[in-house]
Amino acid sequence: MTAPTAEALPDGQGARGAAERRRRTPGAGFFGPQRRSLWFWIFVGPFALGLALFTYVPLAWSVYLSFFDAHNTVTPTDFVGLGNYTSMLTDGAFLSSLGTFALFTLFIVPATYALSLALAVMVNRLRVAQAFFRSVFFLPTACSYVVAALIWKLSLFSGVRFGLANTVLGWFGADQTAWLSTTHPPWYWLVIVTVRLWLQAGFYMILFLAGLQRISPQLYEAAAVDGARPGWQTFRHITFPQLRATSVAVVLLLVINAFQAFDEFYNLLSDARGYPPYARPPLVYLYYTALGREQNLGLGSAGAVILALIIAVATVVQARWLGLGRKED
Amino acid sequence: MHHAWIRVGRALRAALLCALALLFLVPFYLLVRNGLATEADITAPDWTFFPRHVQWSNLTEVFTDPSLPLGHALLNSTLIALSTTLGTVLLASLAGYGLARIPYRGAGVVFSAILGTLMVPAAVTFVPSFVLVSSLGWISTLRGLVIPTLFSAFACFIFRQYFLGFPRELEDAARVDGLGYWRTYWRIVVPNSRPVFAAVSTIVFIGAWNAFLWPLVIGQDQEAWTVQVALSTFTTAQNLNLHELFVAAAVSIAPLVVVFLLLQRYIVAGVERSGIDD
Amino acid sequence: MTDTGTGIGRRGLLAATGGLALTGLLAACGSNTGRGGGGSGPGISQWYHQYGEPGVERAVKRYADSYKKARVTVQWRPGDYDRQTAAALLTDSGPDVFEVNGPTLDQIRGGQVVDLTAEIEPVKDDFNQAVLAPKIWQDRIWGISQTVDTQVLYYRKSLLKDAGVEPPRTLDALVDAARKLTTAQTKGLFLGNDGGAGVLGGTPLFAAGLGLVTEDGKVGFDDPAAARTLGKIRRLYADKSLLLGAPTDWSDPAAFLQELTAMQWSGLWALPQIQQTFGDDFGVLPFPADGPHGTPAVPVGAYASAVSARSPRKAEAKAFASWLWIERTDLQQDFALSYGFHIPARTSLAKKAARLRTGAAADAVRYATDHGYAEPLRWTTASRTAYQDALSRVIKDGADPESELRTVVRKVDAELARVRKR
Repeated sequence: MTAPTAEALPDGQGARGAAERRRRTPGAGFFGPQRRSLWFWIFVGPFALGLALFTYVPLAWSVYLSFFDAHNTVTPTDFVGLGNYTSMLTDGAFLSSLGTFALFTLFIVPATYALSLALAVMVNRLRVAQAFFRSVFFLPTACSYVVAALIWKLSLFSGVRFGLANTVLGWFGADQTAWLSTTHPPWYWLVIVTVRLWLQAGFYMILFLAGLQRISPQLYEAAAVDGARPGWQTFRHITFPQLRATSVAVVLLLVINAFQAFDEFYNLLSDARGYPPYARPPLVYLYYTALGREQNLGLGSAGAVILALIIAVATVVQARWLGLGRKED
Repeated sequence: MHHAWIRVGRALRAALLCALALLFLVPFYLLVRNGLATEADITAPDWTFFPRHVQWSNLTEVFTDPSLPLGHALLNSTLIALSTTLGTVLLASLAGYGLARIPYRGAGVVFSAILGTLMVPAAVTFVPSFVLVSSLGWISTLRGLVIPTLFSAFACFIFRQYFLGFPRELEDAARVDGLGYWRTYWRIVVPNSRPVFAAVSTIVFIGAWNAFLWPLVIGQDQEAWTVQVALSTFTTAQNLNLHELFVAAAVSIAPLVVVFLLLQRYIVAGVERSGIDD
Repeated sequence: MTDTGTGIGRRGLLAATGGLALTGLLAACGSNTGRGGGGSGPGISQWYHQYGEPGVERAVKRYADSYKKARVTVQWRPGDYDRQTAAALLTDSGPDVFEVNGPTLDQIRGGQVVDLTAEIEPVKDDFNQAVLAPKIWQDRIWGISQTVDTQVLYYRKSLLKDAGVEPPRTLDALVDAARKLTTAQTKGLFLGNDGGAGVLGGTPLFAAGLGLVTEDGKVGFDDPAAARTLGKIRRLYADKSLLLGAPTDWSDPAAFLQELTAMQWSGLWALPQIQQTFGDDFGVLPFPADGPHGTPAVPVGAYASAVSARSPRKAEAKAFASWLWIERTDLQQDFALSYGFHIPARTSLAKKAARLRTGAAADAVRYATDHGYAEPLRWTTASRTAYQDALSRVIKDGADPESELRTVVRKVDAELARVRKR
């Protein structure tokens, strides 16, 4: 491929230059407003329509259901007003699931961020076997939560004598630990967060590696001239600030993914009889309330609406925070 | 003195990296070890680093066990992942281009509405989505498994950001040649944007292959199970066959692992050049 | 050349064709999977949950094939069966005839299952009354019991003897025995990987002489004895006598067979496998009594056959269900006794069953008759979840049973009030 790509141009010039040129291009009338809106909708329409149908319609329906006593039905007739909301907000199990969720997000986002950044920095400095290490850390991305949970639950952190963790601890004379069943101390958190760290760190490491490679070597040379020692000082004053854009993207993706947490919890902790009352994030709780045997669709929908509101507020706050960071550039 | 410290630092870093790499490989090791072992070897009280009796027959057993429709599930997963990738990339790239390049009064509103859905995790709307899909008669059909997942606001966002930075000169040249938006897009923009297409395709493909909640809810019939649903179902099944489960899990990740090892360079290049992290 | 926007060039055409191909692919994929269409005679789909015992799947397919009046397709469903049916009943893609751990009160009230009173009425008295009772709501019968399942405490005679422990007859003795039987490699007792909250359910309450819901629809365990008994289950956990984190759960005898535990709470269905491995070296017990008003307890329950109200062929589906589960007693007997161990739901069949008259099986049947309790219909899923959560917190976190139970009583009260109205 010989055609130039966006990277061939200095940053930003493409878009800005384009806007100016558009005003000057003779014959812009060919692309008059009407025709432009037609083409806009030809390009955007199918996507927007699908998104509306499969996101906004269910959302509206969810809101509707949340005002009804909808046991085992999606066309309820028994209007209960805000009843579902009050019972959800006074439901200890739901509130504790929100707590679980907050705790999980507050831990997993910084932890994954730190681990993937550390991996990227270390791999980036390698002179030999860089590709090998990159592959090793990236490979778990190919695994699903289902497969990872299976390995973790049935082999790595299996609670019996032939689990790997218990075998290794056994060599040092420790007792068997039922990792997923023990609540004091809450060993199940160790199992849950290591699954996610293992699965995700490699992908974000790649993003950071891409960011690292864009940092101009001249910056490091200048820093060396100024007497900055390689290592922590250079990292703090050059590398880390230069990775701002990547960091924002990574944090955003990590938070979005944490919002969706369901797979590893469900696959690690559920059994034929249901789900234990701990480490139960809201999605799992709502899943059991609405789609499980309970089939309380009204209550489940009220919970979903509450959760969506919380996430919306969190996202706006986060965007503000990250957006403010942007303006300093 | 200074040099010695650097050397020590480097050695420490290498040791740390090696240790981490080993840790990252442990799950893969367990998958292979347990997948090739007999049931008795797996549950034996003494740990063996490699099974005493390597059972290659596990591989054939897992494809012939009628209670674990692995072959069919692999086929389903492949179909779903391919069509999801194709559809998502097509729809999201068109929308991304339209939003980035076609001046339209309402574009801002439309873009906000699309971005807004990022705040609503798909999983929050799963109850009514499920009902909607079931009222369309799409339960346990590949249609139901694929179509509702095609509209990825995230992919659209990435494409829009990328196309905003696409060199305007190329498009202008196309205009001069008399091409409209449609042909400019297909003849000029797409061929010059392979990295971003490759990167988004990879991410969507991995996501579709590994998706769990939606296939779990929609793919109810055994015939509509994806690999993930089949595996998950058998992890919670009444009587568990550990060696079969592990070899099935190994088989389920094999296609992606191979793709990763072969295409890793391109995936990495795609991610680097796509501007996903900008 | 002014209109440049609308021309579709070769590339555009290619792209459009690609889009069409995609649509075609999706349309092809969309064809109904699994449900048999065409063929002669009306088609009925019948769902079963996955039974652990080998041979059951083949057997139920054989029954279906031998039915002549309709073409019956059997679906064998591993995984969380209750959830699958609950979700499928909301849609038109659900089963026509299905076995159900219920039907639940909300399924009946929501009009999701069909009234089967007329079918079952002639032989009503022949059914085990304890398990038939929860299928009745407002004097109508909503499901036909297929078999009676029960759960018992399995113990290894030799291991108990080595440890100098008698088979426990009281809950205190059970706590004691489990502790004494625990060694470095083998735990004393297996109540499931969650420590017992899931499988035990109301059993300890019945062992304390209480119940879940009273005859007149009140909370059945609003009593200090309940907290006392649940506290003893906590003891088992706190003593580290319980096996936790086993690869399979309580319903599978694997942990017992692999000697990961000396005693296990499991279903009667596991008995043949255990007998095969240990011969005479095992025994069964009911859940031991606790307290002055206590009585031994075993849960009895029955998967019932029900007909979906959304079925387009309700009449045919009803006819098939009543043919298989009412008329063909020979098939019912085969189903209950030829694979795992289940007690036939029909008293007349249970009496004839030779396999249930000797050894541990006879003991288990006796416990089910003398000490069996069935979960009442009014014990809704929401109540059960609240109770199970509380039990789990009592067992694992050492939460105060009294205050936990107070919360549950409030919740169950509200649920009972909800189902009373209308």
